[in-house]
Amino acid sequence: MPDMKTTIIGSLLALSVAGAATARAEEVLRFATWDTGESLAIQQAIAKKFEEKHPGVKVQVEPYAEGYDQKLVAAFGAGNPPDVMYMWNFPQYYTSLMSLDELIARDSAEIKPDDFPEGLMNTARIEGKTYGMPSGFTTQVVFYNKEMFAKAGVEEPKEGWTWDDLRAKAAKFRDEAGKVYGFAVDAKPDPYDFEQFLWSNGTKYISDDGKEIDGYMNSDAAAAVLGMFADMARKEEAVTLHLGDETGGDTLFQGGKIAMFQSAMWDKADIDAAGFSYGVAPLPTFGDRPAHSALGVSAISIAKDAAHPNLAWEFVKFFSSPESVAMRVNDLPVRKSVAEAKGMTKDPVYKPFFDILATSNTERHAYLKNANWSKIQDNLARAIEATMIEQGNAKAHLDDAVKRSERLLK
Amino acid sequence: MDMAAHAEPKVDVVRRRRANVGRHLAPFLFISPWILGFLFFTLGPLCFSLTMSFFDWPVVGERTFVGLDNYRSMFMEDPQFRESLWITVKFAAIYVPFNIVMSLLLALLLHHATFASGFFRTVFYLPSVISGVALVTIWSWIYSREYGLLNFMLSLVGIDGPNWLGDPSLALVAIIVASLWGLGGTMLILLTGLKAIPKELYEAATVSGVPGWAQMLFITLPMLGPMLIFTFITSIISAFQQLTIALLLTKGGPLGSTYFFAMYIYDNAFKYFDMGYAAAGSWVMFAIVLTLSLVVMRWSAAWVYYEGEVRPADGDRDA
Repeated sequence: MPDMKTTIIGSLLALSVAGAATARAEEVLRFATWDTGESLAIQQAIAKKFEEKHPGVKVQVEPYAEGYDQKLVAAFGAGNPPDVMYMWNFPQYYTSLMSLDELIARDSAEIKPDDFPEGLMNTARIEGKTYGMPSGFTTQVVFYNKEMFAKAGVEEPKEGWTWDDLRAKAAKFRDEAGKVYGFAVDAKPDPYDFEQFLWSNGTKYISDDGKEIDGYMNSDAAAAVLGMFADMARKEEAVTLHLGDETGGDTLFQGGKIAMFQSAMWDKADIDAAGFSYGVAPLPTFGDRPAHSALGVSAISIAKDAAHPNLAWEFVKFFSSPESVAMRVNDLPVRKSVAEAKGMTKDPVYKPFFDILATSNTERHAYLKNANWSKIQDNLARAIEATMIEQGNAKAHLDDAVKRSERLLK
Repeated sequence: MDMAAHAEPKVDVVRRRRANVGRHLAPFLFISPWILGFLFFTLGPLCFSLTMSFFDWPVVGERTFVGLDNYRSMFMEDPQFRESLWITVKFAAIYVPFNIVMSLLLALLLHHATFASGFFRTVFYLPSVISGVALVTIWSWIYSREYGLLNFMLSLVGIDGPNWLGDPSLALVAIIVASLWGLGGTMLILLTGLKAIPKELYEAATVSGVPGWAQMLFITLPMLGPMLIFTFITSIISAFQQLTIALLLTKGGPLGSTYFFAMYIYDNAFKYFDMGYAAAGSWVMFAIVLTLSLVVMRWSAAWVYYEGEVRPADGDRDA
């Protein structure tokens, strides 16, 4: 028995020594991402390249997937955060993140900050400080099924079209028996994306100082936007999504059940795979105001208490280099130079995504302005849903959301 | 000499006591995994969450002591608190009686069944084996507005089915029905109880000419008392903790009509990362469930009979 014991202890010791030895030989950089599938594979490829350029460094890619925030929060709570991580919710995390301004200024020759559109950089800024580098983005567009348009003899959308144009076109596709519609409106849109329509109609959810919602979220211009979508549902110009049914607009569009579909880069690959000919139109405008788009931006940040801060910055720099940005084919390049080099700013499919970026620089998303926004947003989401269910009364529901949210504004 | 004579047995006593200690300690050693588990995974977190409930506790960033502020703003300011609690109470008020009555009926049916009772017992119990997510997937197929099984069945008889999960007045009912799917567990407990009732009681009653309904009322139900009370309390607890089905099937919608109290706590913790506030909510739920259980126990003492229990005769009770 004693022999057995010493053997076990001996081998345990040997194992731990071996473990320490490998840890010393390789510096391990932890990188957390929410992506899965193809997007994850791209990031792993970028990590591999980084390892090749930095012998002795191992990048441990940690795909948290669903529940990313829960896992990240747990890691921060336990005082063991990853060195580098995907980030979008800066108001929630910025106190635990490293401010990058000095590093960007120091290495500006490499980074070329001017190569990054200002609107994208703004999504990573809190109180004037930069806490992340944008790594991929998308704006919103309207995909349309060219074959359905040709068959129905409807003129395809063109630049500068308005919501009235969209509604007129959509009405022509309505087919009761085949359950075919011209467009789809979401009864439960992500309020983050929905704000683009308020911007396009000259209003916003919350004042720039983050202290007022009365007169913004429930303004006449906001109610008009929401009322319009409810009206489209009532007149059956559009099918209403997510009213007790989980069938998404992507499924309907890919199946030829809707002719136009407002979405973003994240659906493009699947639409390509559906195998019909489609076009991409910019978001419609309200009258002669320019259309704005919500910005879906993923950024990468460094934890304030990162185990390897210098190495982490090297990785962030590499992740932001033209080489890495060009590898990211699942979203849009965050560097103007890369987009131009790939000819995307001229390609008819990609052009609308980039065009709208220029007008979307002027507004900041509501969640960047108020720390309690996620709670306020849930009241707002309920007002939108209520309006879509009742197919009207936008103003009353928005007033109610404002009333329920006032206590959260302090 | 005396001293030595005394010393001898003393050693013996000590030795015996040591052996006794060993004997008394052994059971605790055997259940020590459970004790450790209880201390670290139940009692520890319990005390921890009570502490948390007095703090403004974001997961990332500064924690500050706020005293009873979380409880105050929950009771005084937060409309979501009242609404979610009310929905949970409504749910419990319908779910609990249905769960027990239907389980009892099924148990009686199986108890008296003469044909393939083993088979049907399995069939009725099977659904409660299915885990939450799979269960929800099945029900979302059943309830789907356009492609659902339920509305397809209705269409066969010419009824245009409603939007079960999309209509605020129907969604809660839909969740209750889906929750009742798991009543096989309750049924099994009651069935075991039925099997344990001595046959002699019924034989004696039959010989004395007591009709069936009276046997049910005066033998079966009283003898099932402890089982009924147990299932009653566990049903109340599970009704108040209802989360999985609503979270996955309706996400609390439409219009918050299925936004249960447990989901309110969940959102505060894992959506808004307001851990202190969520902990306070959990303790409110604990207080409610504890109170309800105590009320039920106290009230049940009047009509539940435990075997071996000696009761004062009627005359004594008056005195």
